Amino acid sequence: MKNRPLPNIEARIRDVVVATGIGSVVTQLLTIREFLSLLNGNELVIALILFNWLFIGAVGTLLAQPLGKNPSVRKLWAASLALVILAPVQLIAIRKLYGLIFVGGSSVGFYPTLMYTFATTAPYALLIGFVLPYSLIVLRKHIPGYSGTRIYVFDNMGDVCGGALFSFALIYFATPFQALAASHLLLVAALWGGYRTSYPKASRWIPAAGTLLALLVLTGALAWEIPTLRPGTGRLAFYQETPFGRLRVIQDQDQTTVFQNGRPIFFSKNPGAAEAAVHYPLAQVADARRVLFVSADQQMMAEALKHQVAAIDYVEIDPALTRVEQRFGLLAQHPAVTAIHQDGRQYLQQTQKHYDAIVLNLPEPDTFQINRFFTKEFFALVKTRLTDNGVLSFAVKGYDSYVSDVELEKISTIYHTARQVFPHVLMMPGTRLFFVCASRPLDPDIPTLLAKKNISTAYISGYFYGDIPLEKIQGLNQLISKTAPVNTDFSPHLVRILLDEWFRVFSASPNVLILLLAIINILYLWYISKEEFVLYTTGCFTMGAEILVIFAFQIFFGYIYLQIGLIVTVFLAGLLPGAILSDYLKKFATPFLITGEIVLTALMIVFLAGITRFPEFMTGSSFLVFGFFVSLVCGAQFPAALHLAGSGRPAAIRLFSADLMGAALGTLVTSIFLIPYVGILWTAVALIALKLISLTVLKMSR
Amino acid sequence: MKPVSRRQFIQKSALTLAGSLVPGALALAGTDHASPSAPAGITGRIFKNTAPNRPWKWSRPADHTVPYSDKTLMCGICPHNCLLNSGDRGICRSRVNIDGTLYTLAYGNACSVNIDPVEKKPLFHFKPATRALSIAAAGCNFRCLNCQNWQISQVMPEDVRFHTLFPEQVVAAAMEKKAVSIAYTYSEAITWFEYMMDTARQAKEKNIANLWISNGYINPAPLSELCEVLDGANVNLKTFDDAVYQKLNGGRLAPVLNTFKTLHKKNIHFEITTLVVPGYVDDAKMIQQMCKWIVDHLGPDHPLHFLRFFPQYKLDRLPPTPVSLLTQFRQIAMDCGIRYVYVGNVPGHEGNHTWCHGCGKLLVERNGYFLAQNNITDGCCKFCGTRIPGVWG
Repeated sequence: MKNRPLPNIEARIRDVVVATGIGSVVTQLLTIREFLSLLNGNELVIALILFNWLFIGAVGTLLAQPLGKNPSVRKLWAASLALVILAPVQLIAIRKLYGLIFVGGSSVGFYPTLMYTFATTAPYALLIGFVLPYSLIVLRKHIPGYSGTRIYVFDNMGDVCGGALFSFALIYFATPFQALAASHLLLVAALWGGYRTSYPKASRWIPAAGTLLALLVLTGALAWEIPTLRPGTGRLAFYQETPFGRLRVIQDQDQTTVFQNGRPIFFSKNPGAAEAAVHYPLAQVADARRVLFVSADQQMMAEALKHQVAAIDYVEIDPALTRVEQRFGLLAQHPAVTAIHQDGRQYLQQTQKHYDAIVLNLPEPDTFQINRFFTKEFFALVKTRLTDNGVLSFAVKGYDSYVSDVELEKISTIYHTARQVFPHVLMMPGTRLFFVCASRPLDPDIPTLLAKKNISTAYISGYFYGDIPLEKIQGLNQLISKTAPVNTDFSPHLVRILLDEWFRVFSASPNVLILLLAIINILYLWYISKEEFVLYTTGCFTMGAEILVIFAFQIFFGYIYLQIGLIVTVFLAGLLPGAILSDYLKKFATPFLITGEIVLTALMIVFLAGITRFPEFMTGSSFLVFGFFVSLVCGAQFPAALHLAGSGRPAAIRLFSADLMGAALGTLVTSIFLIPYVGILWTAVALIALKLISLTVLKMSR
Repeated sequence: MKPVSRRQFIQKSALTLAGSLVPGALALAGTDHASPSAPAGITGRIFKNTAPNRPWKWSRPADHTVPYSDKTLMCGICPHNCLLNSGDRGICRSRVNIDGTLYTLAYGNACSVNIDPVEKKPLFHFKPATRALSIAAAGCNFRCLNCQNWQISQVMPEDVRFHTLFPEQVVAAAMEKKAVSIAYTYSEAITWFEYMMDTARQAKEKNIANLWISNGYINPAPLSELCEVLDGANVNLKTFDDAVYQKLNGGRLAPVLNTFKTLHKKNIHFEITTLVVPGYVDDAKMIQQMCKWIVDHLGPDHPLHFLRFFPQYKLDRLPPTPVSLLTQFRQIAMDCGIRYVYVGNVPGHEGNHTWCHGCGKLLVERNGYFLAQNNITDGCCKFCGTRIPGVWG
């Protein structure tokens, strides 16, 4: 079969590139959510998934050069078609292979997580990295000298549309396989429209069959949605995707369990946990009238009502979770209970109410999002919302007979942080370790306190003295380290400590990966040009800035899904005008590139000053403006670098790759090393330093 | 691109579709755990070249060592039978070959020391309402994914904080705390066998009872030796399925069953604990087989505890055990003829209490670790005089 000259080739490939961008971003976001439902959702795992994706994409981009020797539209068509088919296959593989490789129902450690995320995403990510530069190669075969910037622009257009489509529409209305089908239909249409004419009439059945196959796979995959979510035991009674994760309700005999992102969070017939969470704080308050729960279930409410409280406010960020709890009898409606659907910290910032007890029922603080509830600033906020005799209570994973060093560091950090605000902090060490904080002395003898209030319990009355004897409480107090750091909003030490704990549980160490990354990056940096270096640092800077902005935004305004989605979108949206602008001004590429470095540095300095020195001026829109301008500069640097590097095929491919490599490293380093170890201030300083180095390299090599 | 014929194309397309769409393939779906093709086992491995250069203060030459060749020897304490070259450390992490001699590194270095109600072990038929000095050193020969004490069971003795408590000091502490018994518990006492044995011998001389809380994964010779000093035991029968033993615990079923037979033969009071893990240890038929085996080989008098599972450690993505399933298993066990079957980790369940197998009346009413009433007098039911198996005095 001979290639025929194709009319309108640019438009055809443009359509495919844009549609590929849409499909790939939706696939990437869905992939992250799938992994978070299977694996530990700590900050490291999130960073690892993104890192793998970007890193493999960079390798795929580099492969376009050796594999692009005999470019053809049909090969591009086949590769794009393979992407459509691979997207649902990848999702099925992620869900199904876990139970085949690992012990189902168990969590896995660092290296299995790395291998699993790498292996299951490699085919798609490699191909997606390959397709974009290959599109350029094909275009240049037909239109010599075709601008790489334009391809970059088309790709960004697709990315922005895909991000917006997912964050503001699909997440609310579609299941993962539906979202995949919806987001890839455009690509299927573009492929059909674009490539059918590249075949002689007699062979047009090939694109027709390919298109049909893609459609069949996309629609056929819908049948896998529910079966791949079914549990090994019990019945899947309910399933919903919400902006905050995946909710599943499993019913097994007389038990109902709510899973959020793969973890059981609420289950029926669990009096021990409910009693501990409620009575440890409320037993301390003689006359508790108003209680605030940040996340709770019916059993906790029922225990609280034993204290004759007049009002219970219940804050839950995900309204779908409340509906599910109500539907399955895990949260009955009661005249004293008011449900508030808002981020807990944001609610406390806004409310003027005062509570006798504030009870946090949250997961471990191993993400930036949850860490906000374990900081000195948060505790100070809580104190202003408590009555004089009020108490704050929260819990983390505890221990049975021995507390390990890393657990002790975690406990000591929380204790010291709470003590910065509350003069009295009582620790109750069971399988969950409860902290009760107040401005007055607290009594650890909970059964006696409850007896005085005539409150009967199933667990505490019989088990408390055996499980939490006074000696155990005293023993823990003696072990508390005096040198533990204070966890603050801008220095989230707990995230780092919990990562250490995670490594300890799985007897793993990240050192091998760190070494490997260092070697790869040093070798890479050794061989790249100054233009590639600029894009590498810009990729690193942009991802670092995005993580920093999302982190800071949550501290200032709480976790507001739509606004976080907006931040992610503006970090993509600026790329497009930036690239277009730069393309027009490519004659001034060198000063443009240098100016970009200076602007990025200045932007970060302004941002840093804003959040640390002038927080009162930091409105929600200021975060968006910052994100937009960072991505604008980032987008503008690509065409400028491309112009300087020669605009040839290898240069374009290497620049695409450098951007991805930098982004991969920036994601990992910012999330798991910089912010948890040195805090937000020094992370920003490190990013500024990175850009200054890049600027120096650029200036010196002129 | 290789030219593809129309027939080949259709064939390949059909195959691809079949893989993703045929309903039969859906049978593969929906098994997010207990998959038959999941990894076969999680048995630990020997730690090569991690032994210290010389024994430390909390070492002593290990018992039950089998010379193999030159400086290589076999640790004969448990069925793993680790073959250790000089410098190697056994699966349990606490037994090392230093220059051709096997040492235990867990002797006199107790990392957990607590006074617990004996009911917490759980032992419901052994001197109720008494207190046990409970000790542990680091080490375990299993790798249970739901371990409650991973902080001490899955680490080396050198890596934990500990109290120096040599056997005579343990016994003295028990006497000082007025503990009726010493429980060797939390981690796996088999791996610090010498420490347990020497302490138990001295405790016996002082009329302090010895309680062994264990996974039962021990070789016959050390077990026989241990039986000389034991007064009571609670041994886990984690499942009756060897594959699950390998997958969730890193052990095998047969040696554990042998342990039960030996304890029974030696007339040691012991109770059996089974943690009912959803998806793995929740098959009624398997439980029935297990109970039949117990009755056939051990008789009806050894109390059996079914414990409710809660997600923890590495097994944290499973739901807890449904309470009705525990009730059902209790009934199955009683129908099989086991006289005393308990349900644990479920406050207020009727399976928390002891009911006379003769007259069916309530003998011991428990509120957690406390006894609300005890109708056993001189080891017999106060109402009908039936002898109740156990150690009551």
